[in-house]
Amino acid sequence: MSGQRVDLKVVMLGKEYVGKTSLVERYVHDRFLVGPYQNTIGAAFVAKVMSVGDRTVTLGIWDTAGSERYEAMSRIYYRGAKAAIVCYDLTDSSSFERAKFWVKELQSLEEGCQIYLCGTKSDLLEEDRRLRRVDFHDVQDYADDIKAQLFETSSKTGQSVDELFQKVAEDYVSVAAFQLMTEDKGVDLGQKGNTYFYSCCHH
Amino acid sequence: MSLKSERRGIHVDQSELLCKKGCGYYGNSAWQGFCSKCWREEYQKARQRQIQEDWELAERLQREEEEAFASSQSSQGAQSLTFSKFEGKKTNEKSRKVTTVKKFFSASSRGGPKKVAQEKTLKQGQLGRERNTDNLLRDLKEIFAPAWELASPSEEIQEAKAASPSINRQASLETDRVSKEFIEFLKTFHKTGQEIYKQTKMFLEAMHQKREFSIEEQSECTQDFYQHVAERLQTRGKVPPEKMEKAMDQIEKYIMTRLYKHVFCPETTDDEKKDLAVQKRIRALHWVTPQMLCVPVNEEIPEVSDMVVKAITDIIEMDSKRVPRDKLACITKCSKHIFNAIKITKNEPASADDFLPTLIYIVLKGNPPRLQSNIQYITRFCNPSRLMTGEDGYYFTNLCCAVAFIEKLDAQSLNLSQEDFDRYMSGQSSPKKPESEPWAPDACLGVQQMYKNLDLLSQLNERQERLMSQAKKLEKDLIDWTDGIAKEVQDIVEKYPLEIKPPSQPLAAIDSENVENDKLPPPLQPQVYAG
Repeated sequence: MSGQRVDLKVVMLGKEYVGKTSLVERYVHDRFLVGPYQNTIGAAFVAKVMSVGDRTVTLGIWDTAGSERYEAMSRIYYRGAKAAIVCYDLTDSSSFERAKFWVKELQSLEEGCQIYLCGTKSDLLEEDRRLRRVDFHDVQDYADDIKAQLFETSSKTGQSVDELFQKVAEDYVSVAAFQLMTEDKGVDLGQKGNTYFYSCCHH
Repeated sequence: MSLKSERRGIHVDQSELLCKKGCGYYGNSAWQGFCSKCWREEYQKARQRQIQEDWELAERLQREEEEAFASSQSSQGAQSLTFSKFEGKKTNEKSRKVTTVKKFFSASSRGGPKKVAQEKTLKQGQLGRERNTDNLLRDLKEIFAPAWELASPSEEIQEAKAASPSINRQASLETDRVSKEFIEFLKTFHKTGQEIYKQTKMFLEAMHQKREFSIEEQSECTQDFYQHVAERLQTRGKVPPEKMEKAMDQIEKYIMTRLYKHVFCPETTDDEKKDLAVQKRIRALHWVTPQMLCVPVNEEIPEVSDMVVKAITDIIEMDSKRVPRDKLACITKCSKHIFNAIKITKNEPASADDFLPTLIYIVLKGNPPRLQSNIQYITRFCNPSRLMTGEDGYYFTNLCCAVAFIEKLDAQSLNLSQEDFDRYMSGQSSPKKPESEPWAPDACLGVQQMYKNLDLLSQLNERQERLMSQAKKLEKDLIDWTDGIAKEVQDIVEKYPLEIKPPSQPLAAIDSENVENDKLPPPLQPQVYAG
């Protein structure tokens, strides 16, 4: 398992207890767990193979510690990430404020990283609409501002969970295809690559 | 034809494309305008020349040193002092490294590294002799070394320069083993394997030239090398992806075993200083408890504390590995043990919110040697594809995070008041430990068991004493009781003294012989009365 190749690094960001781990659990093992569960030893790092069209893409999903005491270190995690799923609890407005913090960090430090906003625990709203603390339209506006995708998910019912990760993989494939296209147009000539082996041997 | 080339904008004369030597083949700018064959010839010549020059330089240096030694014998004064000022640090280190070798070759036991300071004036002479030892060693090595080892130009140059006397026996054995494995591995690739071998050799040689460069440049070269070898394997060798991984791992293993001693914690950086700083910092934080970090691990469960011990062993072991990938494997192994410990304690899989604090705790408890150097080394020289995305990369990132946290840690991050934090840091007091644990929380299992046994023994002792005193009391009670009884009896005896009265007179048998018969009145006699 440790030797598995991963195409795309996805970081999960979000305050403690917004349900990052549950989201990953739901997606990878298609289950929602209440109480003790046995089969996996850890959900902190998961590699998941999925298919997009005729391609297979391996997502490496990185869980991160959401506690504020580790805030200063969070930038170490998203180095090299191609996608970030920023989670917030739909029933907790403070978690959305924290989500904004990560978005700002990602924008300034990791430009190539595609951001996905993810409201969690939508099943709680089905039971009681009044529990909602984060307005959908406000977030939609914010998402448009930062050019992010928005999903409202429930790890309990599985609502929108697969769609979210499928979108992440699809976006990656289309971006990679686009990059390949631009590269083919002729960056090759000047590339250091072809000369490297020989140019470094003499002096 | 000519029209076409004009339209293209770049005009290249036919003659410019040909080999500079005029052999008729096409040349290539990458080979300085030579064709591949001529370039190889030229290059071989240049290399031979280089080796020759290096040899001469080495010999000259040795001669000079011998002369210097001779002159210092006659006038042990200013000259040698200034020299040692220049060479002070370097020679110091050299002689330190050489001591192990010296022991093999010289019967007389000269001073170890501790004596270096006093020996300063003698140093040049010694150095000369050391050089001789090195030459001898090299000769020996040439005799015993397999053919492919000799083919390595970098090794030859390196030894010809005699700049590196640190031929650590064990290390070179390991290098040899790794080289053999590498060659065996490459055989499975046939022609591509040959090419890889050549590239790797060239790279190692290039790295040798760049030894004086900054570590960042060396790191960049290595990263470039990984990338281009990977590209080559993919495009030219048509190597399937799963084999690619293996090949890249082997290449990394091969080059990094060789480069390790020059690029791990190099003198040009302040890695060592950072290592010491982290180590000191961790020592100063010895009082941090799992509770402060919210570590979800209960070490009172024997299975869990076993996992914790294993995790600490793994993270400490990292320093002993030479290849970045092996170091990463240690971190991964450590992380797996942490996950197990959390799982046993919490009975559910760990998330990052559980994992990171536990890893921090493990690092604090283990205080792994040369932590910063290891992290830097892995960052600089590990195959990037592994580091950036895979599972190993994830755990490595967490370790970096843990170290960053430890460096920045303050009162707030432990949920302590500033005063408490300062007091603990200055060692004025340490946090109260729960009553149930009179032993240090970091004591190993055996020690803990011992404390428990001691506890038990002292309890037993107490009970025994209690028993003894009870027994004594009982004995005393018994004695008292008998005494009491005796006394009482005595009292009573005294109170009612025993009077032995003569037995009351028994009624005498009338017809018995009786002593008191005489007291009886005489028997009545019959009397006659007239009358």
